[in-house]
Amino acid sequence: MGKGGERLSRLFDHYGAEGKGYSQPAALLSASELNLPSNMARKQLPRWPRLSEPEMVRHYTWLSKRNFGIDTGFYPLGSCTMKHNPRVNEVVAQLPGIADIHPHQPEHQLQGLLSIYYEMQEMLAICAGMDSVTLQPVAGAQGEFTAVRCFQEYFRHRGEHHRTKVIVPDSAHGTNPASAAMAGFEIIEIPSQEDGRIDLAALRAVVGDDTAAMMITNPNTLGLFEQDIAEASSIVHEVGGLMYYDGANFNAILGRTSPGLMGFDAVHYNLHKTFSQPHGGGGPGSGPIGVKEHLAPFLPSPIVDRRAPSDEEKNQAVDEYWYTWHTPEHTIGKVQQWHGNAGAVLRCWAYYRRYGKELRTMSEHAVLNANYLRHAIHREAKAAGVDHLFVDGADTIVAKHEFTLSLGPAKESLGISAMDVAKGLLDMGYMAPTVYFPLVVPECMMIEPTETESKETLDTFAKDFCKVLQLDAETLHNAPTTTPVRRVDEVYAARNLCLRHPFDDE
Amino acid sequence: MGVESIDALFADVPESVRMVNDLPLPDAQSEEELLADAKRLLGSNLALGDQPSFLGAGLYRNFVPSSVFQLVTRGEFLTSYTPYQPEVSQGMLQAMWEFQSLISELIAMPITNLSLYDGSTAAAEALTCAVRVHNRKAEQKDTVYISELTPPDRISVIHNYCQGAGIEIKMLRHDANGCINLEDVARAKGSCAVYVEQPNPLGIIDGGYPSLKEIIGEHTALIVGVQPVSLGLLEAPGHYGADIVIGEGQPLGSPITGGGPLYGIFGCTQPYLRLMPGRIVGRSIDVDGKEAYCLTLSTREQHIRRHRATSNICTNETLIALMGAMHMSLLGPEGLEHLAVRNMAACTQLKRQLATIDGLSFPYEQQSHFNEFVVELPATTSSCLTYLEGQDIVGGFDVSAWYPEKTNQMLLTVTDQTSQSDINHLVESLTKWAKEVSA
Repeated sequence: MGKGGERLSRLFDHYGAEGKGYSQPAALLSASELNLPSNMARKQLPRWPRLSEPEMVRHYTWLSKRNFGIDTGFYPLGSCTMKHNPRVNEVVAQLPGIADIHPHQPEHQLQGLLSIYYEMQEMLAICAGMDSVTLQPVAGAQGEFTAVRCFQEYFRHRGEHHRTKVIVPDSAHGTNPASAAMAGFEIIEIPSQEDGRIDLAALRAVVGDDTAAMMITNPNTLGLFEQDIAEASSIVHEVGGLMYYDGANFNAILGRTSPGLMGFDAVHYNLHKTFSQPHGGGGPGSGPIGVKEHLAPFLPSPIVDRRAPSDEEKNQAVDEYWYTWHTPEHTIGKVQQWHGNAGAVLRCWAYYRRYGKELRTMSEHAVLNANYLRHAIHREAKAAGVDHLFVDGADTIVAKHEFTLSLGPAKESLGISAMDVAKGLLDMGYMAPTVYFPLVVPECMMIEPTETESKETLDTFAKDFCKVLQLDAETLHNAPTTTPVRRVDEVYAARNLCLRHPFDDE
Repeated sequence: MGVESIDALFADVPESVRMVNDLPLPDAQSEEELLADAKRLLGSNLALGDQPSFLGAGLYRNFVPSSVFQLVTRGEFLTSYTPYQPEVSQGMLQAMWEFQSLISELIAMPITNLSLYDGSTAAAEALTCAVRVHNRKAEQKDTVYISELTPPDRISVIHNYCQGAGIEIKMLRHDANGCINLEDVARAKGSCAVYVEQPNPLGIIDGGYPSLKEIIGEHTALIVGVQPVSLGLLEAPGHYGADIVIGEGQPLGSPITGGGPLYGIFGCTQPYLRLMPGRIVGRSIDVDGKEAYCLTLSTREQHIRRHRATSNICTNETLIALMGAMHMSLLGPEGLEHLAVRNMAACTQLKRQLATIDGLSFPYEQQSHFNEFVVELPATTSSCLTYLEGQDIVGGFDVSAWYPEKTNQMLLTVTDQTSQSDINHLVESLTKWAKEVSA
């Protein structure tokens, strides 16, 4: 990634300019013929810049050169599953049959879309060992919220209003407690064991009549498989609570085990992680949820159902079925006004179709790559004599799709922090791994290579990681130096809030 | 690496929870086979561009310039993550800061975030945010008022978000002319928030809104939902007392895409800043004092504040917001104004021509409409839609889906994509249909 040149390109430098980047046909009537209430007429147009099309194209191209994506280089960002996004997915999602359709069109005009929704619902149910799936939640966190809302209505329906508490391990993603709190639940956080795994004694100590659910991800945020998960499920189920599976790490186990087999009642899928929807700098995502039969009547409305077509419907059917929107009996209603992020669902459908029943190999390669990279880093570190500067974040023979390293020894002996190493990696042309999460590992670095990286990329990264560890502390404190800007002052940003272009007269 | 087989990598999965059989799924496909299937299945959907279309009701088919699609698929934007490492994310951070600046000007709010999921969740988050800010001093605790015209699907989203916080949602009445009843609004004084939309869900530009803030007072948030293109002609809510402005951003920069991904606009005034939802970009400096951008005010967010966060949002709609920023950059102020004029001109033209048809009437005829309006039909809307489909027209929205008693009302929508010949075709078809049903 270049710096994009020393000259800055700022959109609002074109404020007051004469550029005209649009060409539009004339309106059907002149503005004077429009009947606008005088008190609602806009008095001053927005103070927007004016760019010609070439100026606009250059500005955004310049910006793009100052941004790092998977397409730019290796992106081992733990817990984010940054895999390659095949371009055919983008082609599929821009076909008029998805881009140019309206969710209020009648079912018979959308049979193709509904059939794909149905296929995705079925596939996701199979993969997770669930009975029913909704594609409506538009992000993982919204999936969590949706599922917890379903739990709430389920308990209300059963007259169990006293179930007000949701249990989360202290190593959980922040969205778990935030989502449950949004639905009105009280959060009970339980400590993890020293190795980061679930503490069954701590769980036993907090469950009771007031337990609504436990939310947990497996493999956990250290990349370790929770071997006691079935036992944890029993403990929660015995007191009448429900088990929620945070699907953020589903990429590690697909086809090898399933949330259903582990005893979960509900799961969200981060489609954008497990099935590849480009992250777009922070979104859009897609966070469907799957539930067991007892929770299916509470799912958001609508989901797709199918039946045999009538004679009249047969000529419009895309296969031997007729697809319809279906409202679950005790639905919680809507969590997004329409049918979720259909465009994201389509991209993930395309990714899934390229694997089909071989989806399991996707997870196997993700786990293989993670373990290989962990091994390669240790191998190269030993060869370079820097293996004393870090330790594994968890004592384990095999990790799952991601693993953690603690830079604690480097911090103690040389004053080099995990953040310093992260910034050093930026100078080597990599995206930095996730740092300081999970909190249970001191000076944590969380690395997730995904299944789409080659052995050569992993070998080179392992070598380069060790090269960074060989740099002196001062160099690393000053890193990065090759990036478009150097370390950004986040305290300055918070103390001198500048959230929009300041005009001269303000 | 000392591991003999793939199976050994999964030895830590206890036998009792192992999946023993292969997944019962079809064979893998090549890219060509996949594309062929996608084209066949999606090709069977009726794309709105293939026929004159008058369906809107919250999502609008506006033209998105070609350069937007070309630029947004640049891999550096498309395949990046949330900008946690600002040094290598300056492109998206600056683009989102510029997005905030553009939206801030559009809605006349000093503070905006870099998008929520869509207009409905933006409305819901605005209401819960207002309760966090105002509840302590509110006489009507945990209470918000929303327009009774709010579409039921949107109310459902609002309900799901509000019920966890124990918020009661009360409805504000409208007069027979489709405008909000200002006397009824007085009930909301002392509550935490009032939520209305402009234009309202019936397409009406409600001239009563400038009085709302004075009626409800400073301790009740005025939340206005907007259709962003309309703001090329309509006054920005920040200029008539709004405290929070939300909207469905889709008409600026994005196709409808079956209802998602979209992007939710969220802007507010200073008192809401530290309790608002979503990510915010701030302009800062790097260690050399060079201009630089980073995420700021993160202590509101779930990854830091956990169950005390102002929202659980993590993934948002950055890429779609980027499309919005690109579209706004091309339009400039005059381009936006012209876009708004085209919408309203097509709407006025359609209304004029429909007025010539016997049997059709306009329940809110005296009102001004931006790009959609309700027409009362001589028979059920569903029968009319079936007829129009036979004429290769995608008709309007059946209002009975919102208000079941309004079986004969249709909400007709135009956009900048509606041509004179589209209008003529609809008017001719409706003329024939009205004659047939009254015969």
